[in-house]
Amino acid sequence: MRKFKCSICGYVYDEAAGIPEKGIAPETKWENLSDKFICPTCTAPKMAFQLLNEAPDQTTVLSTDNSNKFIETIAELSAGEISAICSSLAKGCEKQRLTEEMDSFKKLADYFKIKTTPIQQNTTLHDIIKMLEKDLNQSFSVANKAAKANADRGAQRSLMWSEKVSTMTKSLLERFTKEGDLMLKNTNVYVCDICGLITIGDTPPDVCPVCKVPNFKITKIERD
Amino acid sequence: MPAYRNVRLCGKDCLCLYVCPTGATDTENSIIDVAKCIPGCMACVDACPSSAISMLPDKYPPPQIKMDTVIMAQRVLGQSKVQQEKIAETIATLSDSPVTRQFAKAIAKSNRCMAEDILREAGYMLPQSTKVRKLIEILIENAPAGFPKDAAELLLNKLQKIVV
Repeated sequence: MRKFKCSICGYVYDEAAGIPEKGIAPETKWENLSDKFICPTCTAPKMAFQLLNEAPDQTTVLSTDNSNKFIETIAELSAGEISAICSSLAKGCEKQRLTEEMDSFKKLADYFKIKTTPIQQNTTLHDIIKMLEKDLNQSFSVANKAAKANADRGAQRSLMWSEKVSTMTKSLLERFTKEGDLMLKNTNVYVCDICGLITIGDTPPDVCPVCKVPNFKITKIERD
Repeated sequence: MPAYRNVRLCGKDCLCLYVCPTGATDTENSIIDVAKCIPGCMACVDACPSSAISMLPDKYPPPQIKMDTVIMAQRVLGQSKVQQEKIAETIATLSDSPVTRQFAKAIAKSNRCMAEDILREAGYMLPQSTKVRKLIEILIENAPAGFPKDAAELLLNKLQKIVV
């Protein structure tokens, strides 16, 4: 009997146990679960589960190579990046109760947000799916390796959250392209203020399944 | 080092009112009056049974040094998330369907959160850090049209410098 772990919230499906309260009998094999099976705690789709490997992770070799010190000064930050850096620093100032500084960073963030390159008017949600595929198939693993090799816990933490959020968004987008507006017609949409996780349902989760913040930090997105 | 009350944790036990020597904790809006608060006094912090009061630090430690491989990899993802935000925002403005607009709005907000967090971990965590100061200086030097120079200069003047 095997176990499968939800890559979003960490819930473990145990084949031996099943989920009797959801009508899934003990000893129900993973492949015999419906494709519509969703995580009972965070509603992630079946594809978000991974076979739980009991073997421990291999330890990574530490490297503190910083020979490319010149790279960042040369590679200019884009307007979009500066905007996100400034809006994040505004939040930092808010935590420090520095109101004037917070407002100033917000002004910079707004200025650079407008300066970002405009998007073609015929873009669709498919374009986001394509970018998410690249993030999930390539960019996250490169970044995870770099963060691990340098024992950068902060970067690893940010990547763990955003990788989960990206996986969830991609699965929601794929469902949306099939089901269209019906998918969300009679339900609410929520976004976690801290990690950005999008959840759909009648009520927000008590705590965010990804970053575990309580739900006063989860915002309902209104339909206008 | 003034005291700060977290209103979410405050159980209205009101012990801070009795122990504060200056009445700084006794305010209409629940925010401790920094002008009255005696820096480093700690009387309210120690008295609060709900652990709702803490001291705001005077100085922040120098931030962790980020390796270039980490910075570059974080920036690739940060860029991607910023672009996805932009696409979602465009759809949120142009789509005819209210549901699609709502969903796109959620995706835009989600990507902004991720971009902020990912880029913060590329070395821009602390507003007072040398790296942030440097960024603001470069922005002022190369100020494009309409750049809010006053806001940027205020930041250079007001944000405490960190000496490493």
